[in-house]
Order: sequence, then structure tokens, then C-alpha cells
Amino acid sequence: MNTRTFHTCAFLEKFSTYGKIGIAIIIILICLAGYSLFAGNDMHMIPSGESLERPSIAHWLGTDDLGIDILAQIGHGATVSMSVGFASAILAGVGGSVIGIFAGYFGGTADKIVTALCDIMSAIPQLPLMIVLGAFFGSSTANIIMVIAMISWVGPARTARAKVLSMRNETFIVAAHSYGAGFAHLAYRHLIPGIMPIMLVSVIRIVSHAIVAEAGLSFLGLGDPLSKSWGVILNRSLNFPGIYFTDFWKWWILSPLVALMLLVVAIAFIGRDVERIVDTKR
Amino acid sequence: MSKMQILYDTLLEKDEHGDIPWLAESWEVSKDGKTYTFHMRTNALWHDGQPLTAEDAAFTIGYYREHPPVVNDLLIGGSYIVTDAKALDEYTLQVTFDKVSPTYLTKIGGMRIIPKHIWEHVDDPIAFTGAGATIGSGPYKLDSYDPQQGAYRFIAFEDYWGPEPAAAAIEWIPVGDSVLAFQNGEIDLINAPADIVPSYRENPEFTVKTAHSFHSYRLMMNMDAVKALQDANVRKALVFGIDRQALVDKAARGAAMVSSQGYVLPVSPWYNKDIEQYPYDPDKAQELLGGATYTFSLLTDNSADGMKVAELIKLSLSQIGVTVNVQSVESKTRDNAVNTGKYELLLINSGGMGGDPDYLRTIYGTGGTTIKGWSDPQIASILEAQSVELDPNKRKELVYEAQKLIADQVPMIMLHGALDNFVYRPAKYDHWMFRYDHSKCDHNKLSYVIRTESEQAGQTT
Repeated sequence: MNTRTFHTCAFLEKFSTYGKIGIAIIIILICLAGYSLFAGNDMHMIPSGESLERPSIAHWLGTDDLGIDILAQIGHGATVSMSVGFASAILAGVGGSVIGIFAGYFGGTADKIVTALCDIMSAIPQLPLMIVLGAFFGSSTANIIMVIAMISWVGPARTARAKVLSMRNETFIVAAHSYGAGFAHLAYRHLIPGIMPIMLVSVIRIVSHAIVAEAGLSFLGLGDPLSKSWGVILNRSLNFPGIYFTDFWKWWILSPLVALMLLVVAIAFIGRDVERIVDTKR
Repeated sequence: MSKMQILYDTLLEKDEHGDIPWLAESWEVSKDGKTYTFHMRTNALWHDGQPLTAEDAAFTIGYYREHPPVVNDLLIGGSYIVTDAKALDEYTLQVTFDKVSPTYLTKIGGMRIIPKHIWEHVDDPIAFTGAGATIGSGPYKLDSYDPQQGAYRFIAFEDYWGPEPAAAAIEWIPVGDSVLAFQNGEIDLINAPADIVPSYRENPEFTVKTAHSFHSYRLMMNMDAVKALQDANVRKALVFGIDRQALVDKAARGAAMVSSQGYVLPVSPWYNKDIEQYPYDPDKAQELLGGATYTFSLLTDNSADGMKVAELIKLSLSQIGVTVNVQSVESKTRDNAVNTGKYELLLINSGGMGGDPDYLRTIYGTGGTTIKGWSDPQIASILEAQSVELDPNKRKELVYEAQKLIADQVPMIMLHGALDNFVYRPAKYDHWMFRYDHSKCDHNKLSYVIRTESEQAGQTT
């Protein structure tokens, strides 16, 4: 047990101060999200105060126009944002890697099709595509994850393909091949472990991208209207008539905005450190 | 559309207190009360320079019978109130009605007269966009209209017969944030959100005019589609179970009034306050439901305001065991559902609640199609009786009685009606005014003309 603690510490030691701050922020947000998930009091749905109360002891971040506590909504929004962020990043990462490994390993027509698809996907502007897809599939959290994954797989696919292309001619692969190793064996024993570190980095990049995309879609009204994601909170507060001529924006607009920025910055810090630790250039 | 009021003149105009002579300088009523003879102004011109005559007015009455405009006051319960209209001479119009009614003068007075020399050749007015489609006789003529932007520009009509147009041009322009545009002086009048009205009230640079919007949010119940709603106790339970004061405080941020279940607004001189008021009482609601629980779907438009009201209703009703599933759609889809009846509960904010209470008849009376699956012969006959009662006191009694009966039945749940807070800079323009039956001062023709003192006093009928 002592050794494990030692190892965890050693891993944490490798993070810079910024990285540690990032991890701390994420832990706080996960606690907040966990609390709102398991408290079971539906604080984010049911008014618990007067409408548009200032931040106070009872309501740390004030209330919205219906009198619903904003901190509770931020907590619930953290669940939505993080689940959308991680789920779509993992989906895009896994999907993209599989496609990339296939293309890189088999080459030929498969490679040409995948490369062409990647080119097309990166040529199309992402936001309009996302809006069209979001409007087409309808507004629900699952659909948003699908839409974001659908446009984010290109990065991982390209990276995986490039890595596999360079690994193909490594002596250990050639050797394994000559002993009769098939694609499945090679992929499982050599290719996937080989691309793992680099994938980790590109998945982390997609996470922050996906979180912002979800907030953007919800803000535009393409998110799940019944969820209280940060984008939905922003949508409602910014649409409140004349909000900037009142004091309400100080808690109603700033809270989701700051939460969003904190999460994205935290992920960026962690991503930078992970990139350094796994050293993708090795 | 209300902007048409600036473009077209009418026989009578409306100011703060009542109807005033406009194109008709004077009129007489025949002994049997059915025939009105209007003496029209001899100096009125159309925007293309042709004289406006009694012939145009008589033609308009006939044309509206064949091609009803969007809002047609001359059509009640499916029958046209005018039986005969003719021009006795160039400037004398005689109109005969189907019966004697205290409401007909205002109805015929509000009819917008269209030029015969243009419309007599038009068979399909909805599709007509040709030359002269916007020729009117009002103090302003249409200069340009941009349908993509929804922008209108009207310019003063120099040869107008009546009070001088106060502005050289009036523009309706779309802005992203009206408060910001008003602050920057891009627009001159706004209907300000409740939360910023106090800051304008304190500032002498601005004037705030407040009036009831003559609109009210209402929860319509489809009794054809949902059998449970045919039980008056269920409907009453819903009214008792909705915290309508919370709608005023939270959804409208205080700039609203709880509406009356008798339909007539509390600000109206016809309002009967001695009827069931239905204060928020969840215990009573549950008692009326007798332990039963219900699930309804509620159709609303996807406006921020509509969603907010729907959400509050949902929260409120969940306390008495009524589950509401909110469905939000495009406002046009929702408006369409009002006619087709494809809904269980429907939330809508409608107007037409100013002026003469005869509007009760179009909603609760014979031939009304607004409320699906409900009719009441007693209410219908009282509403029929008030429409022909010439004695103002007796008529008031009938209208009061109708409100009481309507409130006891709750055919439609009246929620809350918004207050309009118009803000403007008096240094720039100070003629904004309300009409006795309409609260949008930007829709009111008299807001845009210079009335002399004598015109403002003594001419009110």
C-alpha cells in the first residue's frame, strides 16, 4: 500500500503547479456535480427563493428569474458539461483511432477513402455543420454527444494513421509479421499500446472543445431545453430583456461563464502537462 | 395589422376616452335605430390624389363581406351585421344594420376604408401586391417595406385633410436589443422590461406611460379531446392550483395583473368584481380533485416568456397531483393548434380585451369556436341580450351576470395580463398617447398627429 501511495505521488509530482491547479478545479467541479446528482432534492429544477435574489448565504450564487438557485444549476450543468465533454471525446477518440489504425495498417483504397473523408470533414466549417446536425437530430444530450463526436473524430484518426504508418516499418513489427502475426494480434499487442499516449493528448484536447461546443449549441437553443446545462443557463440569462441595464448579469451571466472558463482552462493545463509527461515525440 | 391604422382612415377615430368623429363629421340614427346616416368630410383624399367619397365606404362594406380582412368587426358569430350600405350622394353614407345594437357604431366606425378605384378590380386580396396595394387615406403613406427585415417606413401625407402629421417620417426598424437601441437613441419609444422601468422613472429625461396591455395569458382546455376536463370541478381545481400571483411576480417581474375568470379585465369599466376570484389555494384544489391525479400535455410557443409561464404552471400544478408535460413549438404551430384543436392544454397570450365587452360574445356566445367542446345556452342567451340592450344600466347588469356565470364555469383559465411601460424622451417627441381600448401608443394614429385644443375637448362622443 505504501508503494502505491508513493507511485501516485510520483505521478502527481510530474505535474507543474498549473497542472495541479487544473486537477484541483476539476475535482471541485466533480464534487459539485456529484452533490447535485446524489442530493436528490431537485434544487436545480424547483424554485427555492424569490426571483433574481442577489448572492447570499442561502443562495451562494443568487437565484434566476424563477427563483431557482444558480449554484444548484451550475452543479447540475457541470454534470451535463463534463459528461458531454468526456463522452464525446472518448467516442471520437476511440472511433477516430480505429479508423486511423485501419487506414494506416491496410493502406491502399481504405487509406484513400479515410484520408479523403478527413479532408472533407476538416474543410467544412464546424459550427454551421454542428448547427445543422443538431437541428436535424433534435435536442437531447445523447444527440449532442453524437454530433460532437461526429465532427471531432478527424484529429484522432489522422494522428493514429500517421503513427501506425511510421510504426509499420519498425523492425519489431516487421519481425512479428514474419512470424505470422495477424492484424488483430499486431493491433492489440503493438499498435494500440504505441498510439495510446498520443491519443490521450488528443482526447484531452477534444474534451475542452466538446464542452465549449455543447455550451454553444445549448446557447443557440439546440441543446436539451429541459436540462440545465451552462449553455442553457446562458441562453436564458442573455435573453432576459435588458439584463445589462440591471444588476442581474453579475451573478446570472457571470456564474455559468466563469464555470465554463474554469473547466476549459483546467483541462488545458492538464492537457499541457500530460503532453509533456508522456512525451509524444519520443 | 395595427400599422394599417396609420395608413387607412376610418369613419370614427378613438382617443383616450371614446370614439371621436373622423372621416364622418356627423351622423344621424333613424327612428328604428337600425339605419345610420354618416356625413363625410368633403376634403379627404387618397394618397394617389383621388377624392375619398361615400362610394368608397359603401364599396368597402361590400368588399369586406366577400373578402373578410384579418380582423373583421363586422362579422359576428358567422353573420354580417350590415344588411345594406349605399352612398346617398357623394359624401353621404347610409348603413343599415341587421338589428339595433349599442356596439355597432364603434364597429362600423373602426372599419378601415379602402379605395374603390383600386380594389374593385382585385378578386384575390391576399395575393394582391400590385400597384396601389398600399394606397390609403391616412396621415402617413407607406414609403418602403422590407419583408426580409420586417422594416417599415412611412412618410407624412402632405395633402391630408385632418390634423397635421407630427413627423416627417415614421420608421419601424428591427433591433437586436431594444433597450440598448433606445439608450443609444436609435429608436425613440420602447416597451421597457419591468426591471429597468424604475431607473427611467427616476430620470427626468424620460417619461414612462403605463397601461394594461389589454392582453392576457390564458390556459385553454380542450374539452373535446380530454374528457376529464368536461368536469367543471377539475377546471376549477386547475385555477385554484395555479399560483397566478407567482406568474405576475416571476414571469412578468411584477409588470402584470392577475386576470379575472369572468374574462373582462379588472381595469375595464365593465369589470364585475363580485365574482369568484379563485385565490391560489392548493388544498381546495386537491379537495376538488378528490384524490384523483391527472397528466396533461401543455402546448406553448418557444418564446422565453411562454416557456417561463409554462414552467411555473407545471411547478404549481405538480403540487396538487397534476402532471404537466410542456411541449414548446414555433408560435405559428401553436396558433394553428388553437383552430385545429390539436392540444390538451394550450398556453397563449391574446388581446382584443379593450373597449366594449361585446368581445365576450365572440368567445363564449353562440357560434364561438375558441373554446373546444364547451357551450352554455344560458351564458349565450345573456350575451345575446346584452348586445341589443340599449339601456346602459340594464346592459351593465347583463354583462356583470355573464361574467359571474363564466367565472363559475371556468371554460378557459385566465392567468395574468401584462402591463405595458412605454418609455420615451419628451424632449424629442411628446405626443405619445393611449387609446381607450388599446395600449400600444406606437399603434395609435393620434400619437402621430398634432391635435388642436378644440379637437381634444368637446368632440368626444
